[in-house]
Amino acid sequence: MVRGWRWGERAWTKEGAWRGGVALAALGMLALLVLLGRRHGFGAPEYLQFLLDGLRGGSIYALVALGFVLVYRVTGVINFAQGAFVMLGPMLTASFYERGWPPTPGLRLALAALLSIGIVAGIGVAVERWALYPARRASPLTRIIITVGVYLILEGAALLLWGPYAKVIPSFTTLSLADPTLRFGALRIKAQSLWIWGALGVSLLALALFFGRTTLGKAMRACAVNRLAAQLMGIRVDAMSTLAFGLAAALGAMAGIVLGPATRPTYEMGLELGLKGFVAAIMGGLVSFPGAVLGGLLLGALENLWAGVTVAGFKDLFAFIILILVLLIHPQGFAGSEAEVERA
Amino acid sequence: MGRLRIGSVVALVAVLLAACAAPTPTPAPPAATPTVAPAAPPTPTPAPKVGSPYKIGFIASITGPGASLGIPERNVAQMVQEQLKAQGGIVGPDGVRHEVQILIFDDESKNDTAASVARRLIEQEGVVVLVAGTLSGPSLAMVPIATEAKVPMISMASARAIIEDPETKKMREWIFKPVPENLHSAQMQADYLKAVGITKVCHLYENTAYGQDTFASAQAVFPQAGIEIVYGDAFERTATEFPQVEKVKASGCQAVVIGSIPPASALVNVAVRDALPEIRIVHGHGSCSPDLVKNAGAAAEGTVMPCGKILVADQLPDTDPVKQLNLDFVKAYQDFTKGEPISTFAGHAYDALQWAIAALKTLPDGLSLAEQRAKVREALEGLRNLPGTHGIFNLSPDDHLGFNYTDFVMVVVKDGKFQLLPRDQWK
Repeated sequence: MVRGWRWGERAWTKEGAWRGGVALAALGMLALLVLLGRRHGFGAPEYLQFLLDGLRGGSIYALVALGFVLVYRVTGVINFAQGAFVMLGPMLTASFYERGWPPTPGLRLALAALLSIGIVAGIGVAVERWALYPARRASPLTRIIITVGVYLILEGAALLLWGPYAKVIPSFTTLSLADPTLRFGALRIKAQSLWIWGALGVSLLALALFFGRTTLGKAMRACAVNRLAAQLMGIRVDAMSTLAFGLAAALGAMAGIVLGPATRPTYEMGLELGLKGFVAAIMGGLVSFPGAVLGGLLLGALENLWAGVTVAGFKDLFAFIILILVLLIHPQGFAGSEAEVERA
Repeated sequence: MGRLRIGSVVALVAVLLAACAAPTPTPAPPAATPTVAPAAPPTPTPAPKVGSPYKIGFIASITGPGASLGIPERNVAQMVQEQLKAQGGIVGPDGVRHEVQILIFDDESKNDTAASVARRLIEQEGVVVLVAGTLSGPSLAMVPIATEAKVPMISMASARAIIEDPETKKMREWIFKPVPENLHSAQMQADYLKAVGITKVCHLYENTAYGQDTFASAQAVFPQAGIEIVYGDAFERTATEFPQVEKVKASGCQAVVIGSIPPASALVNVAVRDALPEIRIVHGHGSCSPDLVKNAGAAAEGTVMPCGKILVADQLPDTDPVKQLNLDFVKAYQDFTKGEPISTFAGHAYDALQWAIAALKTLPDGLSLAEQRAKVREALEGLRNLPGTHGIFNLSPDDHLGFNYTDFVMVVVKDGKFQLLPRDQWK
């Protein structure tokens, strides 16, 4: 499952040695965390709290990472516009919710969320059709740069539309600003965390069913394995690329919406979440869905533990150190062939 | 919401067009007046002599990330321009009447745009004084331009470095600002913490220039008041998890000071309140905005912060020297903007423009532009006991702000509203 963590075959064939190295590094890190934490007198409850909070953020990273993987597998493009989709979801939802119709708050929030996910999926499709499809013969690097451009355009449009002000999405549980806190002894879990974990679970299940059981899903997988062969079998690969963008955009929007009540969405929130999701996807090898989820959860948990025991101001630094490390020791994330993944 | 946004965009375009178009007809009146004045005997009353118009260059961040501050400031500039027009300009010490034009420009919250707009206003429009800079970055970018051209500049941003050279610790000759700093905020917080008997605090600040400055100010001020910062740490403005809270718990501090701006300050407020229902929370003056309550909800209840008097003008005692000024300003502003909520930033713009006007009023007629600029600079340094929205300002060559921190008021959030907390109620 976590194939992404292996050395490339050409670079290193001693699988055992690599695994041992990873285990050693993990142990060393754990020891460091405990040692640093002792300075503050932290015990099990504190670590568990860091872990729980971290898994909440990690679930968001995982959802964003799924979008990266989906697009990368089908089109071979790393879609940096994914962060913009994550921002547009909650911004649209909050705007619709503010309109005050229908009057039932629960229904209104659900409608606003669904409508927003639909719109963002449409934007994803439009991005593929209008920005990437015309450049389908360009090099992957060119197309990646196009996605960066798309991100900047969408962020700029959001600033123009909504201004720099933060939006408010009510807690899903209470439909008000106050999100209830569940207490288990010294542990605190925000009710919104349960929604976030639920959203991740449902998305995973839906993706598994889609790719495993439906013809369309299987056609998309075929594109990922071998574009030319898929085309020869009568699959419309261009349509599959468009679909992948739409799906990824919908996933991103949903991630942003469930995160919404835990933060205050602004036009600029997409950059950080997009980059963290990218790091998570890279940790998972960029082509594996379970890998992306594991990468996201791991990144969220480690990042929060690290911030908890050391200086919290360096929280983001940690994520990007991980990115550099993974890229240094596992660059195959970028070049690995899709066929290899399908075999796994 | 949507209509409002479109309306503001249209208004913005209109302002920009107006600002661009305004300068062209100006050369005409001065050419006409001298010919009229000698041949005026038929007029029944001796009309005051009319001198050349003065131009104030006004640069704010009307678009971009600073827009939530810059738009109220722009509104104030338009309002003051209208007031000046209604009064028929200002009268100098020699009885000569001068029209005042406020040229409003947008720096797009960008340093380079600010610099080029400032240069244009100085060189092409011939402004006497600049009221320029919503944000610290663009303000700092305009400082060398104003200094080099010898044009007095009044900033609306807060960073100390705008008026004081951080290396030499000397006032910058040509630069002024009516905006209190984090240092004043920290002094007020220290007074409060000391009064309520707190000796150990935690300080959480956002990882920005503003946040780091709140922390540095607290480090400089708190120990002198016998208050120890047992734990200080930063957080990202975009953070959703706050592991710092566990360290706050472990550190045993009696109060948490938050150096941040909403919505980030609100999120930290919620996280701290969640883990420590009883602990005292003190914000900086960056949180003096309805956005704090809007984003933190019930978690903001009972939190205190030092704020400018303008925020609670109606609650000030009648003896307060700036109460009436604030009430008048708030009323005028809301009449002018048709009910926009007042913000402290609007107050800063108002103070800055009042300083500029007060200085312009000291100019005798017939000076060259360079002389006018130099004289305005001198006049600004000489402003004493000048009431403003944030207090009584006393400027001098060694102090281009002239703010006394006790002119801040402590405010508590009660039932979702800001309520004045007089010193005798600190407990």
